Amino acid sequence: MKLNEIRYKIDRIDRELLVLLQERMGLALRSKKFKAMISDPRREEDLLARAERLNLDLVERSFTRQLLATIIEESKRLQEEDRKLVAFQGEHGAYGEVASRQLVAGGAYIPCLEFVDVFRGVEEGDLDLGVVPVENSLEGAVTQVNDLLTTTDLKVIGEINVPVKHCLLATQGTDYREIRVVYSHPQALAQCRGFLMRNKLEPHPFYDTAGAAKMVARESPKASAAIASKLCAELYDLDVIKEGIEDGSSNSTRFLLLSREPYQGVGEKTSIIFAVPHEAGQLYDVLRLFAEANVNLTRIASMPLRSDPGNYSFFLDFEGARQDEKIAELLGKVEKLAIGMKLLGSYPADVSSL
Amino acid sequence: MKNLKLASRAAAEQTVISVGDVAFGRDFVVMAGPCSVESEAQTLAAACAVKAAGADILRGGAFKPRTSPYSFQGLGLQGLKILDKARRETGLPIVTEVLDPRDVSWVAEFADILQIGTRNMQNFALLKEVGMSRRPVLLKRGMFSTLEEWLNCAEYILSEGNPDVILCERGIRTFENYTRNTLDLSAVPAIKELTHLPIVIDPTHSTGRLSLIGPMSLAAVASGADGLLIEVHHDPKTALCDADQALTPDLFETLMRQLRPLHAFMRSIAD
Repeated sequence: MKLNEIRYKIDRIDRELLVLLQERMGLALRSKKFKAMISDPRREEDLLARAERLNLDLVERSFTRQLLATIIEESKRLQEEDRKLVAFQGEHGAYGEVASRQLVAGGAYIPCLEFVDVFRGVEEGDLDLGVVPVENSLEGAVTQVNDLLTTTDLKVIGEINVPVKHCLLATQGTDYREIRVVYSHPQALAQCRGFLMRNKLEPHPFYDTAGAAKMVARESPKASAAIASKLCAELYDLDVIKEGIEDGSSNSTRFLLLSREPYQGVGEKTSIIFAVPHEAGQLYDVLRLFAEANVNLTRIASMPLRSDPGNYSFFLDFEGARQDEKIAELLGKVEKLAIGMKLLGSYPADVSSL
Repeated sequence: MKNLKLASRAAAEQTVISVGDVAFGRDFVVMAGPCSVESEAQTLAAACAVKAAGADILRGGAFKPRTSPYSFQGLGLQGLKILDKARRETGLPIVTEVLDPRDVSWVAEFADILQIGTRNMQNFALLKEVGMSRRPVLLKRGMFSTLEEWLNCAEYILSEGNPDVILCERGIRTFENYTRNTLDLSAVPAIKELTHLPIVIDPTHSTGRLSLIGPMSLAAVASGADGLLIEVHHDPKTALCDADQALTPDLFETLMRQLRPLHAFMRSIAD
């Protein structure tokens, strides 16, 4: 091995160490919810003792002890800070994390495998807040999330539109001319089809955009790149070869911020879900209430009711807050007409991307 | 010139190539900027200066064909990203040179116009590759080339399916050595007789002398050229290449003030 090859490998290992540390800190923050006190001397001694049992000739026991003690100290310091645990679905760097960072500054962003883990985690109190996508400007509703919204007790306390700006990412030092294979989620690959074709790149489907970035950073497969968010470049130490490689220009995803408690302020927007009896004119009667009250609807979507095939639940977003007299009165009328109207919450509107 | 199936005057109506807000073959298009992209600060400073003076398109090299292999070769991909940023900040479209067929699709992702330099005019592999791209091509005349050879190179690009070729006269080698090359302005009306493709003038590389750039730019307007390609550097003394032939933003602004009225006047007496 030559010096530059050795250094390349060392860099990769350092990157890996830091990414793992990030994961470890996230878990430590989650553990706080289950402990009466942050400090747990017995657990600390266990950790240190267990590491010392490992017989690594190049990593001496005294060094191991010192290193772990430093990590534990930092982990306790982080737990002392009052960081909100914000759950999103996907790996670190997913667009859900991009949304989370914009909705809740200075939080601890916790990756979850599935959307249902985000909902359950917040519902059960293991996590403070959840961020989930409800719809994409090109692909439409995210059905899994909308389905979970119909049954959850969580409240919507915020929203944000995140522009989906795909980036071509590769490990540092990769010659862009050598790239042949590109890993990403099938949807991201589809959105960048033109770019891939123009540059004769072969799309390889992966379970997640951020997961693809993580894999490329960890394994550095030959002649490969990933399509993911710019945040992934920072998190996994990848080079941005090109930003904004998607074919369409206006691709954005709307995310909702979920909490156990409703939004304390007045808000500008309200979301409800309702179903109506299977009779002629029922939906029209509900919508007419909004027309008569001169309330502007910002989203209307329908979804089959799992519990009652052939019947639908309707998702309505509109301008105004539940505290407004006009809206409160309107909601009272809707409740009488509909079967099981559910108020998801009133919250500040995202006006940044209008 | 019988091999010019697509490039000859008779083959098509005047070619009009829209780039951003302007169109070659319809407007008088001024492309200006540094010889090479040296840093983000230098490129953005030059971009803002030429934009303020009224340039239509930003030029700047990320890949540099240098006489010596030890001279600055350009920033490559990093340079392309800087040009991309300059476009976003100023709104000016980008023209930049491509040297290697393997780079064509990538440069096309960042640039609005692909430039083929004088040394690569007859690099047929490169011509075929830009012929397959979807970007307009600025084809510089080889410094030892006849008009017929030049137009045959344009034919290479057209025959691959890319109809948007802009010719650029940049001086040819003669026995005169006071100027860097001899600017062949007669090429402008000659090209207008021979082809429907637009032609622009590079007064910087052809003369190689700061004092001659202004007069030859005005002469280019009078000759009927469709535009200019000029080097402007915010601090020519520190430039990493062609330091002694780049206009300062002040000189460029003065020139721009003379160019536009002269062009309007030439238009007014054309009929």
